[in-house]
Amino acid sequence: MALFSPPISSSSLQNPNFIPKFSFSLLSTNRFSLLSVTRASSSDSGITSAAVEAPEPVKVIVKEAPQSTPAVKKEETATATTKNGAVEGEEMKTTESVIKFQDARWINGTWDLKQFEKNGKTDWDAVIVAEAKRRKWLEDNPETTTNDEPVLFDTSTIPWWAWMKRYHLPEAEILNGRAAMIGFFMAYFVDSLTGVGLVDQMGNFFCKTLLFVSVAGVLFIRKNEDVDKLKSLFDETTLYDKQWQAAWKDDDESLGSKK
Amino acid sequence: MATVTLKSFTGLRQSSTEQTNFVSHVPSSLSLPQRRSSLRVTAARSTPKLSNRKLRVAVIGGGPAGGAAAETLAQGGIETVLIERKMDNCKPCGGAIPLCMVGEFNLPLDIIDRRVTKMKMISPSNIAVDIGRTLKEHEYIGMVRREVLDAYLRERAEKSGATVINGLFLKMDHPENWDSPYTLHYTEYDGKTGSTGTKKTMEVDAVIGADGANSRVAKSIDAGDYDYAIAFQERIRIPDDKMTYYEDLAEMYVGDDVSPDFYGWVFPKCDHVAVGTGTVTHKGDIKKFQLATRNRAKDKILGGKIIRVEAHPIPEHPRPRRLSKRVALVGDAAGYVTKCSGEGIYFAAKSGRMCAEAIVEGSQNGKKMIDEGDLRKYLEKWDKTYLPTYRVLDVLQKVFYRSNPAREAFVEMCADEYVQKMTFDSYLYKRVAPGSPLEDIKLAVNTIGSLVRANALRREIEKLNV
Repeated sequence: MALFSPPISSSSLQNPNFIPKFSFSLLSTNRFSLLSVTRASSSDSGITSAAVEAPEPVKVIVKEAPQSTPAVKKEETATATTKNGAVEGEEMKTTESVIKFQDARWINGTWDLKQFEKNGKTDWDAVIVAEAKRRKWLEDNPETTTNDEPVLFDTSTIPWWAWMKRYHLPEAEILNGRAAMIGFFMAYFVDSLTGVGLVDQMGNFFCKTLLFVSVAGVLFIRKNEDVDKLKSLFDETTLYDKQWQAAWKDDDESLGSKK
Repeated sequence: MATVTLKSFTGLRQSSTEQTNFVSHVPSSLSLPQRRSSLRVTAARSTPKLSNRKLRVAVIGGGPAGGAAAETLAQGGIETVLIERKMDNCKPCGGAIPLCMVGEFNLPLDIIDRRVTKMKMISPSNIAVDIGRTLKEHEYIGMVRREVLDAYLRERAEKSGATVINGLFLKMDHPENWDSPYTLHYTEYDGKTGSTGTKKTMEVDAVIGADGANSRVAKSIDAGDYDYAIAFQERIRIPDDKMTYYEDLAEMYVGDDVSPDFYGWVFPKCDHVAVGTGTVTHKGDIKKFQLATRNRAKDKILGGKIIRVEAHPIPEHPRPRRLSKRVALVGDAAGYVTKCSGEGIYFAAKSGRMCAEAIVEGSQNGKKMIDEGDLRKYLEKWDKTYLPTYRVLDVLQKVFYRSNPAREAFVEMCADEYVQKMTFDSYLYKRVAPGSPLEDIKLAVNTIGSLVRANALRREIEKLNV
């Protein structure tokens, strides 16, 4: 059961770029009783992302003043900046308004790929980062779904090589590096102990087994936690079957019991 | 002669040497796993005929399982008693039945309040996918009100000859010999409101425990416990214009905010919607999950009034013991709820029917006494027919409900037409139909692709946190 992700708590998702931390703690305690939520400035991404936008430092400061005093009452006034620099102020008088994810490149429930162009080609890395930010935003501030603005984005529009370049290749480099280091030193070590050279080692069954184990270890155990994770994964795969077979196993035990 | 038969009958299940005393034979067509080959399951051909009466069987619990079991028993010529504690029980339930149930159980079409032909799956990041394009004209998921369905099945059982008693089962006394009756202790309500009922006892030859997730029959046979989920549901009456959206559409919301190991739903009922969620591991947070579900559907249920709040345990896997001597469990009492979808009505009714059929066959239409071997046949048939379905759904739950990225991949996969066709085929007709191998390979590749992409995005999210 430890494999299930922990329930949402924004305290673990502090974003250092976002200065007013009070609003986040207010969010976590009042999230579900509040119908109005502070519009967090996702302009933090405007400061860091590759897109050329003008951050609005003035507006951010204006926002800090009311929020540094988290009032007991639930309504708050907030301003927000959207990515294209246009300022949208929203006064929340009573409970009905809702904060939604806003981004200039997010149009009609999907990313407008034309706005991600760099040197005439789509900058897929920026699309990936933008989608990650959207998902993170939604994890922290779950939104209602509406029929007027359905979300239609499909991650398969980002081509497979973009994913590979960004995630697979760096990790593959690390794993191959580990395997090479282990391989080199184990070969040297075995050679120094037994005098068997590399080519002759490959002919030996025990050495081949060791090689297989080390490759599997490098592939499957990438972090310390992976050892326990793999063990519990194995238990998990067999548990359901065991629960079903329990009715039959019981019968063998009851053979010895009186009728 | 009779005494000799009785004495050696007690050793029937233990060794094969005693077999030679009887005319009975070992059914060789059983598909038992190898380690059970030492156990011989025999038909009770050797049991003596019941001299002056029919076999008496009590069905405890009058839900779909109990109703179906009682009807099949009564039709098979067995003296049947159905004990139900609350005749107008309005069960908290999604209320979805597959198409095959309508045909197999001859349900009249007016029992079905709504025919759901479209479903929307909504991912944690609110990506919405429409499912149902592949359904044919006559295919639908039926939404029923449990009180209507349960009452109908009980009525049919009564018409077939079962006696329906409004009472609460308390406990049962186990028999001393293999053919002594079970003594049931129950409280009978005589229909007057507020009365506490009269304590009564009844002697029966066999018992079918169909009394649900908190089964007392299961307790009295030491059936063991199971893990269970808490399903929490609110019935909300929404304005008519919003109700038209849910005319024939049901929604499923997945996400950590809605449930860490299950899903939240909006199911349309007769004139309102049921909004609910469930969880196994974080039962204490169920109210929080319910609020999150309502929040995610907020725009679509805005202005609605909550007319009822209900909660119920849902078993996650079968009990360790599903039968003991001449007592068998069926339905929720046995734990026959699938993972991933949490479907239980069809399996309850089907298991009730299967168990009753095994009793009818073993007793040769009520003429002979039955024994545990006959009931074991029901277990074997059940496991053989439905274990693959349960296994597949368990794998789906383990793979796709474990984290937000997995759920995103799940919703992405559901957009695929082949997936929709396979899913609906297996849900509506309860058969694992073999698809085309090429499509299966494409599906496997796409699944892995979706999972990889979703997990990559999660790593990106984690990078953003740092």
